[in-house]
Amino acid sequence: MSTIAADTVEHNPAYPLLGANDTNIAGSDTELHWYATLRFRLIMSVALVHAILMGAFIWDAVTEQSNSIRAELQNRGHALSSLMAVATTNALLAEDIASLAEVIDRVYKQPDVTYGEVIDAQGNILASTNPARVGQRVAPRIRVSETMPLQPGDHVLDLRENIHVAGRDVGAVFIGLSTDNLDNALIATRNEGLLFIFIALLVGSLAAGALSFATTRNLHAMTMAVRRLTGGDLNVRVSAKGHDEVGLLARAFNAMVSSLQRTSYQVKIEHEKRTEAERLACVGELSASIAHEIRNPLSAIINSVNLLARDDLQQADHGQVMDIVNAESGRLQRILNDFLSFSRIPQSDMQPIELCRLVRDTVILLSNDPDLPGNVQIETRLPDTNCMGRMDMDQIRQVLMNLILNGVQAMPEGGKLTVEVVAAQEELNVRIIDTGIGIPDSLVDKVIRPFVTGRKNGTGLGLSIVQRILMQHGSKLNIVSHPNIGTEMSFSLKIA
Amino acid sequence: MQRTTEQPQLLPNYLRFGILPLQSPTKLAAMFIPLTEYLQQALGTPVQFVTAPSFSRYMSRVKQRDYDIIYLNPLTYTEARKAGYRVIVKVAQEPFTGILVVRKDGPIKDLDPQHLAAGLRLGFPDPNAFAATVMTRQYMENQGFDVNRQFHVHYFGSQDSALMALYSGLVDIIGTWRPSLRSMPAAVRKDLHIIAETPPQPQMPIAVRENMSKQDIQRIKNCLLSLTHTAQGRKALDALGFKNGFVQANDAEYLGVH
Repeated sequence: MSTIAADTVEHNPAYPLLGANDTNIAGSDTELHWYATLRFRLIMSVALVHAILMGAFIWDAVTEQSNSIRAELQNRGHALSSLMAVATTNALLAEDIASLAEVIDRVYKQPDVTYGEVIDAQGNILASTNPARVGQRVAPRIRVSETMPLQPGDHVLDLRENIHVAGRDVGAVFIGLSTDNLDNALIATRNEGLLFIFIALLVGSLAAGALSFATTRNLHAMTMAVRRLTGGDLNVRVSAKGHDEVGLLARAFNAMVSSLQRTSYQVKIEHEKRTEAERLACVGELSASIAHEIRNPLSAIINSVNLLARDDLQQADHGQVMDIVNAESGRLQRILNDFLSFSRIPQSDMQPIELCRLVRDTVILLSNDPDLPGNVQIETRLPDTNCMGRMDMDQIRQVLMNLILNGVQAMPEGGKLTVEVVAAQEELNVRIIDTGIGIPDSLVDKVIRPFVTGRKNGTGLGLSIVQRILMQHGSKLNIVSHPNIGTEMSFSLKIA
Repeated sequence: MQRTTEQPQLLPNYLRFGILPLQSPTKLAAMFIPLTEYLQQALGTPVQFVTAPSFSRYMSRVKQRDYDIIYLNPLTYTEARKAGYRVIVKVAQEPFTGILVVRKDGPIKDLDPQHLAAGLRLGFPDPNAFAATVMTRQYMENQGFDVNRQFHVHYFGSQDSALMALYSGLVDIIGTWRPSLRSMPAAVRKDLHIIAETPPQPQMPIAVRENMSKQDIQRIKNCLLSLTHTAQGRKALDALGFKNGFVQANDAEYLGVH
């Protein structure tokens, strides 16, 4: 028998190897119904086998014993009636009533005898255990002896023995044997049989229980180890001292976990390498983008400052150059502010928030903005039901504002912008749909990257900020756009 | 079982044929049941073989007219006659005698009062057995024996028992009669020896109740007299050992029997 116990070799944090969908073993699905357990099935199997085999054996034994008891009673009855016939022959022929009465009396004292009678050839009762019948001439009680088993309700075995002398019947003896003791013996035999079956059932069940306990105890330890493994503990091991199948399984399990641990370590190293490379690439790309974005306004400012330093700059041009300096400086400021916003997004403070109300307030706020073009119509489609979601209210407000403004800016010729919230089973789906110019196909997959924009005055950080905030909420931004038709941007939030 | 009446009766629904308990009931049954069956067929009425535990019980029943037909010895017929029975036939056989029997290998070779030692054991079936007891005792008295003083007398209940007692050495001499000796197995018979035989008396009679109708009595009589005429009758006689059957008998023959 193998002994398995979950052990931890070393306690080193390891990466979870399994996805969320593969972790059911640690969940409530592993709580088996009692009737589905191996232990119960093993006990039931052994008990059933015991019950069937013992039942068949005991049924056969009881039947045989019952037949033996019946045969014994019948044989005893025949022997008694034969003996009685022999003992009464002379007395019958001599009509020796006293001798017959003595024989009858002795027969009546035998166990189970309920009556006895002797009749002559004419049917005259010469002796009877019922003295009132002596001297009567009656029809014989039975013509032939009864055989076992008797008819239901008949508890007396009636036997007849004709008395032969010189080949002729000169009379007959009758005796009745009560089957009460026989019935009691049969009941006792049957009860003993049932008791034996019960004992066999009990012993078999206990043995099966002990066997199943010894087996499933080890399986239970392995189940616990698998649960820890599922939870990410790759240091778990089971003790496998046995040399049976369970011990083999335990060693295979340990080998598998060791292999997983090695693979996990390699994956971890590879992941760190790849992350570092991606980080460096991102830094490089970001640096290039920043440099690219600030180079143009900075060049304009430098050129403008140089122009301002010239003496031949006319007063009228001086003002124009100053406007350029102010505009480009403002542009630089926006770039830097957006970049700071992008890089310093705080951790989300998740709270239950009424999303519909937040959408409604945001739309009202933006509708009152004097910079909002008058040719843009904003429509909200909100559900009547409660739409509480878990979110950081300020961050989601920023997401909504960014996306709504993005849509408004995509409609320079005016149009309709729809903000829709749909409550699904476990999440709230938010869609912002505009009827603007759309996003070129080549940019659809890139607009969420920093400093990628299709607009002339955009910094290219708005959708990147949106994407980062949504990622912190366990969501992401989906974009579907058709040039000159419009764009739909959507995301989902978990219901509170 | 008693069915007595003084008025002449037709045959009852069955006839009881009472046999004097000369031997064991089963032996008597083996002898007489073929005869009862013959009568049953000839008369058209069931005939039941019956005997009694003892001579005295038999005679007691005879006196109560418990039987319809009786087979008895000449001496007891005298009492049966008083009870209302009348002889119709008797055994057509050798003279009715009693015999005294000893073992061949014993010291007794003849019945000489001078040679027999005192204190011998003398066996009889029953005190009332006519041929075996009454006639042989009478014969011995006539020969000069004082039976009660010279012998130790034992009664064994039946002819067979007395014969087997002699054969076993329980007694030295027994009184019996020839039919019983003949019925013994040959192995027994060859070791026994008859040392004396009484003068003859009338043979064993068969009598019927006198209050039966004359027609019925005649029918019974005819049946018994015609036994030798049919195969079944001869078969019945073989069982009885009476090969010559029965012949007619009358009261006068038995009046002198005492």
